[in-house]
Amino acid sequence: MSAAFKGRREDRRLVTGAGRYTADWNQSGQLYAAFLRSDRAHAEIVSIDTKAASAHPGVAGIFTAEDTKAAGLVFPPPFLPFPGKGGQPIKVPAHGILASGRVRYVGEEIAMVVAATAAAAQDAVEKIEIEYQDLPAVSDVEDALKPGAAQIHAEIPGNVSLVYEYGNEAKVNEAMAKAAHVTRIKLYSARLVSNPMEPKGCLAVYDAAKDVWDFWSSTQGITMMSGSLATHGIAPEKARIHAQDVGGGFGTRGGAYPEYLVVMLAAKKLGKPVKWVATRSETFVSDHHGRAIRLSGALALDKEGNFLAFRLDWTCDLGAYPAGAGPFINTITPMLTPTGVYKTPAVYGLHHLVVTNTTPIAPYRGAGRPDGAYLIERLVDEAAREMKIDRLELRRRNFIAKDAFPYETPTMVPYDSGDYATLLEKALQKTDWAGFEKRRAESKSRGKLRGIGLASFIEPAGAALAPKDQTLLKFGSSGNLVLHSVTGPTGQGHETVMPEIVGRELGVDPELITLSTGDPDGPPLIGGGTAGSRSMSSHGAASLMAAREVIKKGLELAAKDLEVAVADIEFKDGKYSVKGTDKSIGIIQLAKKQSSTAGSHPMDAGGEVPAAGTFPSGVHVAEVEIDPDTGVTSVLRYLTMDDCGTVINHTLLEGQMHGGIMQGAGQVFGEECQYDRASGQLLTGSFMDYYMPRAGLIRDLQVYDHPVPSPTNPLGVKGAGEAGTTGSLPTFMNAVVDALRPIGIHHIDMPITPSKMWHAIRAAAK
Amino acid sequence: MYSFTYTRAKSLAEARDMLAKDQDAKLLSGGMTLIPTLKQRLASPSQLIDISRIAELRGIAVKGEHLEIGAAMQHAEVARSNDVKQKIPALAYLASQIGDPQVRNRGTIGGSVANNDPVADYPGAALGLGATIKTTQREIAADDFFKGVFETALKADEIVTGISFPVPKRAAYAKFPHPVSGYSMTGSFVADNGNGVRVAITGAGQGVFRWKEAEVALGRNFSLAALKGLAMPSRGLSNDLHATAEYRANLVEVMTRRAVASLTGGK
Amino acid sequence: MARIEMTVNGKKVSHDVEDRTLLADFLRDELGLTGTHIGCDTSQCGCCTVHVDGVAVKSCTMLVGQANGADILTIEGMAKGDKLHPVQQAFTECHALQCGFCTPGMIMAVAGLLKDNPSPNDDEIIHGLEGNLCRCTGYINIIKAVKHAAAAMK
Repeated sequence: MSAAFKGRREDRRLVTGAGRYTADWNQSGQLYAAFLRSDRAHAEIVSIDTKAASAHPGVAGIFTAEDTKAAGLVFPPPFLPFPGKGGQPIKVPAHGILASGRVRYVGEEIAMVVAATAAAAQDAVEKIEIEYQDLPAVSDVEDALKPGAAQIHAEIPGNVSLVYEYGNEAKVNEAMAKAAHVTRIKLYSARLVSNPMEPKGCLAVYDAAKDVWDFWSSTQGITMMSGSLATHGIAPEKARIHAQDVGGGFGTRGGAYPEYLVVMLAAKKLGKPVKWVATRSETFVSDHHGRAIRLSGALALDKEGNFLAFRLDWTCDLGAYPAGAGPFINTITPMLTPTGVYKTPAVYGLHHLVVTNTTPIAPYRGAGRPDGAYLIERLVDEAAREMKIDRLELRRRNFIAKDAFPYETPTMVPYDSGDYATLLEKALQKTDWAGFEKRRAESKSRGKLRGIGLASFIEPAGAALAPKDQTLLKFGSSGNLVLHSVTGPTGQGHETVMPEIVGRELGVDPELITLSTGDPDGPPLIGGGTAGSRSMSSHGAASLMAAREVIKKGLELAAKDLEVAVADIEFKDGKYSVKGTDKSIGIIQLAKKQSSTAGSHPMDAGGEVPAAGTFPSGVHVAEVEIDPDTGVTSVLRYLTMDDCGTVINHTLLEGQMHGGIMQGAGQVFGEECQYDRASGQLLTGSFMDYYMPRAGLIRDLQVYDHPVPSPTNPLGVKGAGEAGTTGSLPTFMNAVVDALRPIGIHHIDMPITPSKMWHAIRAAAK
Repeated sequence: MYSFTYTRAKSLAEARDMLAKDQDAKLLSGGMTLIPTLKQRLASPSQLIDISRIAELRGIAVKGEHLEIGAAMQHAEVARSNDVKQKIPALAYLASQIGDPQVRNRGTIGGSVANNDPVADYPGAALGLGATIKTTQREIAADDFFKGVFETALKADEIVTGISFPVPKRAAYAKFPHPVSGYSMTGSFVADNGNGVRVAITGAGQGVFRWKEAEVALGRNFSLAALKGLAMPSRGLSNDLHATAEYRANLVEVMTRRAVASLTGGK
Repeated sequence: MARIEMTVNGKKVSHDVEDRTLLADFLRDELGLTGTHIGCDTSQCGCCTVHVDGVAVKSCTMLVGQANGADILTIEGMAKGDKLHPVQQAFTECHALQCGFCTPGMIMAVAGLLKDNPSPNDDEIIHGLEGNLCRCTGYINIIKAVKHAAAAMK
């Protein structure tokens, strides 16, 4: 932690309970909604009878698919602006906001009751009479792909929604044929539940005179939410989005959920505010899930260990409906960094996106990045073992050199900058890698298995959610500034760091600058929200550009004020000075002297940057110890050496790393969302059954960096939000497998629960 | 939650009367199991009779070679009690490992024993120490009290008033917490009474049970060596998505060894 | 319906509410004290932690009737005017919060822990945080903040 850190601007309200999350907003006369959800994975709806429910005391209305259809609301096709293999577009089923005709996963929304109290709404939901006719269900992609498997949608024959390819298959086949060695591996990246601590919810108020909704919900950005509502059938100008505090996003709060649209419809039809707050049990079945990918890969090497080609096969679960960015994250995202940090002439990827009777899949922290890094870095470690080449040496031999940038991947993606070899050497210096065998022996003397592992990974960041990102700096009457942006902070500290960027450039106290992000009355700005590790390189860089524009606008005014020509003025440390004299005026002082008219100040200025990708990289090292008696794996140490580009605020960067690494650790050590394979019932529907990392899982976590500025944005930053997760899956698993190698185990799947680990060790001993 | 009425009983007699009059009433102590059950709408009692503040159910007392704990004593109170720490430190330790701090500040020993959740900790101590469960109607030996998953010898109108634990020569509890819920995935409570050894296992099976083979072996020779080669059969143990029956059987062996080792200095 | 009377953050309050009302809902909906958050329905996450008669409890797992007559302290009652409670101060200075949703419950749990044990070691801190989930921070800075607060309160 940086010594100068005294806390974030947002902290005061959050530590005193004055933060306002979605459930904290209320409107007088509001009604409450509750949902009837499918209790089975796959069934025809024979009939729905809402008579008894309607008669329940306090019920104001019941909404079913007929109502949402009549209102023109639709479940939108996923975001996928490109076709798959052979130019075939993704196959998408016709589907409404609420289920009609058929339910396709446990938890799918069927009807919504609105009543005077939340309890009455829930009571009435239980009185809706519904008759189903069960259909065979498939809850696993392997089952869904079997001949004769239950067909989930008529529009998706064989349950394959999209086949996506990249790279050059012929070249890869040729390389594999002539290779001295080919390493192959099969891995599983389990289905996860994102679980931001704030359960989703919303509050809608409809103004009939203006035909506009005021809408509160947790969101990763107001343009993301309004854009998403638009795809569902509510035009952006009709919805005024409010979000002050958002209790975690992690990709799961990127867009609108079906419930939101029904709540909005109800607010309009009933003429009263309607509020809905999900229980955690509801979020488990209805928040989009993450990951759920079966990975297999092959790495071809020549006899010196030079990489010749990667072949990557992903079979990705889409859940019951291709939704949001679900298909995007497991196609184009891994295509962007297909060979990791290694110069490799050929690559071919083939991804199958498959529907199943499960909750839809969408981005979750990393969103395709951790899975890709996991596949590549496990392949590299196994290749090193099989070829009897030291795993560090094999990496060193194949790193893209630091003078090779912009480096173009075989998929024609330009990496911005990087220095992978130095990251490795600096990480090794901090970890006493060389002294490890002594530590392994010490553990062995206590009956424990100790392992060390690392990953040198890269990931694409700066998702192009909009063609450009804009900010606007506006002066207030007291010489203060408001920085308008459409970033959607969910804990990253934007209210602190964005003003820091502006304050540094203007040479003024950042406390004078306030960030405004969730204001429906704010200026219309083009831009995306907070997702894909993009906020610093987009909103942050645009904030810098706005500050530069303000300085530029002030030049002429300063010249007038100081009674010299513009050419004689220079700006430095917050002051406009007459060159060669001690005559000067501070930028705030200058601003205060100007009169603003109609809310517009002559020094107000906007900034913008075009969408530009960055490629953060890093070397992470983990040391673990396994207790063969109980199968428990303990993390002894975790260390990062990251290149997230220029570091703006080290404490906040560390925070992002800590959280990202812990979410990776969750997947490694226990998180797995499981369905009963035969019935499609969710088995891990609460914190009693779904593992969540708790305090103490990692105790010793050190974050270091070796920044190589990115040339793609004026701040020189790269993404940081997902790097911790991307690095930690392969790092932990390489360390775990290293611990197990002496007993002959070279592969184990995540999550390494104690039971699974104990069985693996016992099987190896036989 | 469905609708119900809540009443705070002032005395045991009042609670008993209320319970006798309404067969759909339920007793509420700390509520650490009951309230989550109600929230999931898995139960719909007509009324809840709060017995947690009844003076007769409160208190910890040393009576000769017994430690008596009132049913309404919270886990945190038991964990903190000097009497418990002095007489049966393993029991204080067990109480300190239940749930989490907030749960220990509400949950009670009587509630835990009466609920007999197979993954709860207290049944392990009660059975391992050969405790006596005192009720409004009788005294029941732990061996006769626990009847499997959430089942006990309690009648519908009977209220647990306290537990009497005989003070052992030495005892230890080793718990392997469930990695998700924190409940006992397997706990082994080993008590050496001077004239015999009892080993009670929680979490692993369909309710708390005694591992008789280990008791016999440890009775002959209270040491790790006595446990060597002793295998817990996995048949009948719980088998779920978090752990197999074989793994739980292994944990029974490992946790029993650890409990014994903590008493013998690793021998 | 029952008449509930209790002291909340030093103020006497009295309301008529349904018997099935949870303490968490009472604080949020009747008293408008929305700093107490509800993050789950199985008593695992600890976001709703408040102090009842001086000890930390999960207010989502307590009926308001059970707290009738009690002295309740919520996150809103921790600071004295402008002066933050040492635990609030430590969370701020150690960057022990990100989205902030778990934070009120976490702070109340830590305040409870430090009452019982004014100088906990790492193991005791981790044991003391078993009832609280955080999805953002990885707990690293939370553990730091607990030590920081313990030192400040000496």
